[in-house]
Amino acid sequence: MNFVDEYDVIVVGAGHAGCEAAYAASTMGLETCLITIHLETIAQMSCNPAIGGLAKGHLVREIDALGGIMGLLADETGIQFRLLNRSRGGAVQAPRAQSDKALYRLTMKNWLEKVPNLTLFQGVVTEILIKDKKVQGVKTLEGNRLLSKAVILTPGTFLNGLIHIGLHSYSAGRANEPASHELSENLKQLGLKSFRLKTGTPMRLHEQTIDWSRFTAQPGDKKPVPFSFRTQKDLKNQILCHIGYTNQKTHEVIKKNLDKSPLYSGKITGVGPRYCPSIEDKVVKFPHHQRHQFFLEPEGLETAEIYVNGISSSLPLEAQMEILKSIPGLDQAKILRPAYGIEYDAVAPTQLNHSLEAKNIKNLFLAGQINGTSGYEEAAAQGLMAGINASLRIKGRKHFILGRNEAYIGVLIDDLISKGVEEPYRLFTSRAEYRLLLRIDNADKRLTQYGYKYGLINEKDYEAYQKKQERIEKAMHFLQKERIIADNKEKLRLKDLLKKPEVKFKNVVEYKKFNGFLTDEEIRHVESEVKYEGYLKKQEKEIARIKKIEGEKIPENTNFRKIPGLTREVMEKLEEIRPQTIGEAKKIPGITPAAAMNLHIYLGIQKRKSEKGEMFHVKH
Amino acid sequence: MLEDTIIAISTPLGYGGLGIVRLSGKKSLPIAKKMFKPKKSKAQIPPRQPILGNLYHFEQKEFFEEAYLTYLPSPHTYTREDVVEISCHGSPVILEEVVRLGIKAGARHAKPGEFTLRAFLSGRIDILQAEAINDIIQAPSYKQVKISFSQLEGSLSQKIASLRSQIILLLSQVEASIEFPEEGLRISAKQISKKMEKAIHDLKKLVESYDLGKTLSEGLTLAITGRKNVGKSTLFNSLLQKERAIVTPYPGTTRDYLCDKLNVNSSIFTLIDMAGLGSPLHLAEKEGIKRGKILASQADGVLLMLDASQGESTEDFKLIEKFKNKKTILLFNKIDLPQKINKKNVKSRAESLPALEISALKGTNLEKLKETIYEFFVPQQKQAEEVILHLRQKLLLEDILDCLIDGLRLLKEGHSEEIYAEEIRKTIPLIGQLTGEIRTDDIIENIFSRFCVGK
Repeated sequence: MNFVDEYDVIVVGAGHAGCEAAYAASTMGLETCLITIHLETIAQMSCNPAIGGLAKGHLVREIDALGGIMGLLADETGIQFRLLNRSRGGAVQAPRAQSDKALYRLTMKNWLEKVPNLTLFQGVVTEILIKDKKVQGVKTLEGNRLLSKAVILTPGTFLNGLIHIGLHSYSAGRANEPASHELSENLKQLGLKSFRLKTGTPMRLHEQTIDWSRFTAQPGDKKPVPFSFRTQKDLKNQILCHIGYTNQKTHEVIKKNLDKSPLYSGKITGVGPRYCPSIEDKVVKFPHHQRHQFFLEPEGLETAEIYVNGISSSLPLEAQMEILKSIPGLDQAKILRPAYGIEYDAVAPTQLNHSLEAKNIKNLFLAGQINGTSGYEEAAAQGLMAGINASLRIKGRKHFILGRNEAYIGVLIDDLISKGVEEPYRLFTSRAEYRLLLRIDNADKRLTQYGYKYGLINEKDYEAYQKKQERIEKAMHFLQKERIIADNKEKLRLKDLLKKPEVKFKNVVEYKKFNGFLTDEEIRHVESEVKYEGYLKKQEKEIARIKKIEGEKIPENTNFRKIPGLTREVMEKLEEIRPQTIGEAKKIPGITPAAAMNLHIYLGIQKRKSEKGEMFHVKH
Repeated sequence: MLEDTIIAISTPLGYGGLGIVRLSGKKSLPIAKKMFKPKKSKAQIPPRQPILGNLYHFEQKEFFEEAYLTYLPSPHTYTREDVVEISCHGSPVILEEVVRLGIKAGARHAKPGEFTLRAFLSGRIDILQAEAINDIIQAPSYKQVKISFSQLEGSLSQKIASLRSQIILLLSQVEASIEFPEEGLRISAKQISKKMEKAIHDLKKLVESYDLGKTLSEGLTLAITGRKNVGKSTLFNSLLQKERAIVTPYPGTTRDYLCDKLNVNSSIFTLIDMAGLGSPLHLAEKEGIKRGKILASQADGVLLMLDASQGESTEDFKLIEKFKNKKTILLFNKIDLPQKINKKNVKSRAESLPALEISALKGTNLEKLKETIYEFFVPQQKQAEEVILHLRQKLLLEDILDCLIDGLRLLKEGHSEEIYAEEIRKTIPLIGQLTGEIRTDDIIENIFSRFCVGK
């Protein structure tokens, strides 16, 4: 008889998605088990040693505002901090930090080990146990059965992972870590359609074999901005990154070796990300570029490994070495780990509900790379939402879905569920309809209520949040009420003064004293609120209009088959589920925005007709 | 896609040599078969081939009319559904009976524009094309039909698609520099403002072409005005080539105004004849003068007539003063009589206006007048420039234009990229509305309520 244990929630995979999911579920009071192939690689940063950036930094802030851990951990283990786009407005500023990879891993493990209700377990899950289309638990390689009410799958690139270096390939989930074949096969049997994706990672070099004098140093910010609203400690920059460029010689080497590229020889069939192309792709697709930029980023304080950001490749090792030889400063560099490409199975996310639960299997949640995304932050955001939703499900509470107007997390998940993915999905700020609204400086204002409601934000932090809102309110009131005399002798509200593009809050308080205190973070928030005011007001109206449409009631006797322009599939879905409002109809997977609009138009016409006293249905 | 089959007469109402009744929907053929029997009895009706036969009145159990039936199977039809067309004599009585029988046999009377609605909903045509079809149906002039055809082929759609890609390119450059601040993709404000200016320029040209579109689709109104008894009604009749207005030698004959369509080089004008201006003799005339003044001031253009057989009067000068800033053609009428007017003196008061000497009575120079009307009032389009036929399109283009103008202003005032990017982003759904990719309720309802039955 094999070992059997029982939990509320089992999380399969301890990457960035899995850790957030397990943390959220256990913090919400559920007995949780986090299973990983290898306990040493919990929260491993498989690729670049950095967290954040545009849209990604936004996600981390949102995760933090909801009570997730990525932000706190990134601050704790960061070794260089920068706020990107400082010269632009608040909506497109985002934090980015270089992390000490080993420290990140260790700290995450250490933190999770201390979380009540959470059990870490080393094992390879080979099967999801299902009964009557509902999750029962999982089975491991050794035949152990772990039972649970819900399972959250976060296997990253491990499903049928296949590593390519040159024309050589081998099965792995990450370099030299075993891939998961049984689980992939099992998911197919459960009726989940999968497809192949591809990504890659660059080579790691030994820092003492690099001639650093040939590169431009890129320091961190003088005043680092933390990810987390809850971080108290002073952040310190401890390393430098460096910028370099490839050259014509490099490009010649790459072109010469293309026949040995698994990508160009047709060996790799999976689709790679366009926004993070391999160096081969860059050279082939942009033949006019004289050079391509790359960054040299230290992987940590206790290691000599340097990550070459921008030269991801799946060329053979000899070619990789030849590439380095062509670049002054790297010509003597020693490769510690070769670059490689990896293909893996992803599950088409259109098979999930907005709560990240599989449509056809109750209580099975999927998060992270398995849903076709790329990036630690995208994974963590989904992990958190899956963790919250699995917990809510077990507690019998209503699911938690964020709107596109509420959070980047909402944009991310809605894109996945309603549009599906064709290449590894990365979030961009331009994917958000309400970009000026979804900012790092108001993530807490948008989301902390939810985190508190679900028990992920504690009383102390919530109190701090409320105090902060009071300070901000006071400042907004000050800007609204106080006036100065402008050059043209007219009275000018401070707020209108601050609206001018070149004016900052600190300039405003030179005219009138402000009897309050604001942190730099809060000042950025106030500036954004004022400078974007016109747009924010308009967007609020737009959001209210959409909400009104979504709240529109669908009469019970509606014959969905009579609605013009709907596909059979959509009609059947509507007939089956019979949504009561347009908003509910929109949430039904497979109902496109166009179909929802058709429904809305049809209802409008019917309403007008019945008001005119005409027949509701057309006679035959 | 739709469960029921619709039927309607698809040729214009009234007597014609030929009339067509059209069915669309799954049951088109079975319904048609109930009321049509082929002359040569065939097991199956071949697709896309007119079949000669007789219309069968299944209520009275008799044949009543010879007809052709054409069966067009889905999906290569206008609505992408099965379509049957029955052509027979164009008598409204027969056509309406065919429709009535079709309804008895299971079809439903098509609602206004429903065939086109189905074509649109099935993805067969985009909104611009749908509007163009409406233009063909309702085109008042041959020229407009030609424009409609070229629009139907998607040339305006293409123009807008190119505008769309221009704006998308612009936006993607701005976005890339925002999203990838570390990768040296920064594009200078100067470069962006240059691109915006180019897009604004192209848009303005498209918006301007709307004026030409209006001429062709709605027709301009031309008011004939002048003092009493200068020959306005005579000119009205001569231009229309029919005795439309009552003409007498007595001043003040015309009391109320008259309207009729005038066709010049396939462009349609609404010509208005009205009471002559001057001191009225009766109350009715007074009212007529009042209305005439309003009409003349509201008209798109004015034909201001003077009596060349009489000396110019202060009233003439007053009228010239009043209309010289409007699109006005000066007409010296009655050149068949001895001339008393000092044309030089008159013209000196309205140097910018075209002037013509005519005799409305004898028909002298009327062809010349028509040419002048055409040249003066119909804006001449440069080749390959698009004509925008609809107010909706114009308004959308203007909205897009406004966004870009605002964006350019914000850029020049020194606002940050994400702010003016917001203005450019706003244009994307607007362009979508132009090409019909984004379907919003008011547009669709508005378009399809304007369609006449059966295409």
